[in-house]
Amino acid sequence: MTIYSFYIFDRHCECIYVKQWHQRDRSFRPTSSASTVDSPVTLSSDQRSSTSSKLQNDVHPTGRGGRLSVQDDAKLVFGVVFSLRNMVRKLSGPDDSFISYRTGSYKLHYYETATNLKFVLLTDVKMNNLKVVLHQIYVNLYVEFVTKNPLSPIEHPGGEGVAVELFEMGLDSFIVNLRPHPPLRRIQTNLVLNREQYRIDIKVS
Amino acid sequence: MQRGDSLNSPFVPFSPNPSIQQGTPTSTPPLKHTLSSSTSSNLRYSSSRKSIYDRHLNRSQRSELSKASFAFLFGEMVQYAQKRVNGIADLEKKLNLHGYSIGQRLLELLLWREGRSAKRETRILGILQFITTTVYRSIFNKPADGLEKSRDNEDEYMLIDNDPMVNSYISVPKEMSQLNCAAFVAGIIEAVLDGCLFPGRVTAHSVPTEQLPAKTVFLIKFDEAVIERESVLG
Amino acid sequence: MSATKAARVGEDVWKTRIDKVNAELVTLTYGSIVAQLCRDFEGDYLEVNKQLEKMGYNIGLRLIEDFLAKTNMGKCANFRETAETIAKVGFKVFLNITPTVTNWTTDNKQFSLIFEENPLADFVELPDDGRAQNELWYSNMLCGVLRGALEMVQMQVDAHFVGDILRGNEVTEMRVTLVRIIDDELPPGED
Repeated sequence: MTIYSFYIFDRHCECIYVKQWHQRDRSFRPTSSASTVDSPVTLSSDQRSSTSSKLQNDVHPTGRGGRLSVQDDAKLVFGVVFSLRNMVRKLSGPDDSFISYRTGSYKLHYYETATNLKFVLLTDVKMNNLKVVLHQIYVNLYVEFVTKNPLSPIEHPGGEGVAVELFEMGLDSFIVNLRPHPPLRRIQTNLVLNREQYRIDIKVS
Repeated sequence: MQRGDSLNSPFVPFSPNPSIQQGTPTSTPPLKHTLSSSTSSNLRYSSSRKSIYDRHLNRSQRSELSKASFAFLFGEMVQYAQKRVNGIADLEKKLNLHGYSIGQRLLELLLWREGRSAKRETRILGILQFITTTVYRSIFNKPADGLEKSRDNEDEYMLIDNDPMVNSYISVPKEMSQLNCAAFVAGIIEAVLDGCLFPGRVTAHSVPTEQLPAKTVFLIKFDEAVIERESVLG
Repeated sequence: MSATKAARVGEDVWKTRIDKVNAELVTLTYGSIVAQLCRDFEGDYLEVNKQLEKMGYNIGLRLIEDFLAKTNMGKCANFRETAETIAKVGFKVFLNITPTVTNWTTDNKQFSLIFEENPLADFVELPDDGRAQNELWYSNMLCGVLRGALEMVQMQVDAHFVGDILRGNEVTEMRVTLVRIIDDELPPGED
């Protein structure tokens, strides 16, 4: 039950946030477009030390040298998601939206808000549907820490992306504490607990 | 008497007979509610509704708005100020000024609401208690979390807030880590102190701890005159 | 969604999911902002109007996300529904007021919002310099908020005040016009 990565795309078709926790097993992919494949994602000089070995802190979406795989990934994911969404809308009307799809090696969960903000989560194949989780991330983390923060921009020209520390810490602890088959109530209590927890973690790291 | 419909027309009451023509002071716009011809104010009021002077001041005492409205408004205020200043000290000063004008009005309102039981504070401790309880409770619905006197300096006091509401949505980026938007609240406190004749300077400092990462201390530094007066009063 | 259902949703969300704050603080803060703008632009009230509208626009871009998160609503089917949602849910959730929606044009693209009470202008009297009452729309930030918020949900609108009690009119009234529906953006290179 692992979470591989998380993406946010805004309404201008830009990727504004990427986070990877595990490399998914790429040996399944018939063509590997990534240049650096199975080694852990290398970090740039402003790496933050991770408190847990499970977490690998991610890179900024504006790719610096050697980060093309992540940016490529984001573009590929967006392309897939965008085409699927349009196809679903053409087939069953403008109100419908696809929720997830599954391949042999991963499962992709998708959630779109009315403001055309797209949240994408890549997990292993055994996960249940995580649309609710994505909704929680939107409501409790994105809106609280990014939208309400006056010092973080709403439009991201040139792919600046979301760089709010509270959001990242909240996301980390939320995802790390995600248990398999969680009832909805437990997710919420996890989130409430983690708000206090990550506040303390600021000092620890 | 002119009625509401004439408020929207450019028509000026005019008659060639000077005794009939209504007086029009030179600096007014052509639209005029002639009911107020006896006052020097040229403001228009709607014909049916009363003005703000007819509303009771306590009407909005308990009314509430969403915290998000304040957060967005405050955020926009910070952003607007940020564009017009260079430097964090300037930004804090602008926030302080905003808080100051709010504090002045708040003080008047609160003292009026206390009514006959309002006591004019003459001692430092008294005014600080007033701020910690009454003022804080009226804006944030809870009293401040602590009040301390500095051991090193006679003229310094510290007001502690464990989680200032204005900072709850603001996550300061690393390059501006000196900024504390609670300078806004510091302005409110400073205005209340000034209004009660305790001139001084108030600044906000964040002192995060393990349990309270958002803890803020407002350092209140009184002027010489206040300390002298305090010592004379015994 | 009908007006009554929207009203019910608005009340519900207001009672359960909203953190509240003292209204006077917001009133005084808004007043301080307007006063600062008037000082900065030295009495050029038309410029102040524009600036208020711009600030409102920035707020609206963010406010819509918070609104969607709190009320869990999806997209509205048509402009009439949008108007009801704005009046009964949107304003209720943020300002605890419910303006009335009236004066629809026949093509359903324009409507008016009539404000019985305006918490932003609670203690306000416009300056008596002969120009403010003719030029300044005190609550112009609300127009910007509507414009920004609706733009994020693919609707380009124009909102402006046509009457304000502070200026001596009978009611505070805002006119909202749908200019066009914005299409989804396509990624670069695709068509």
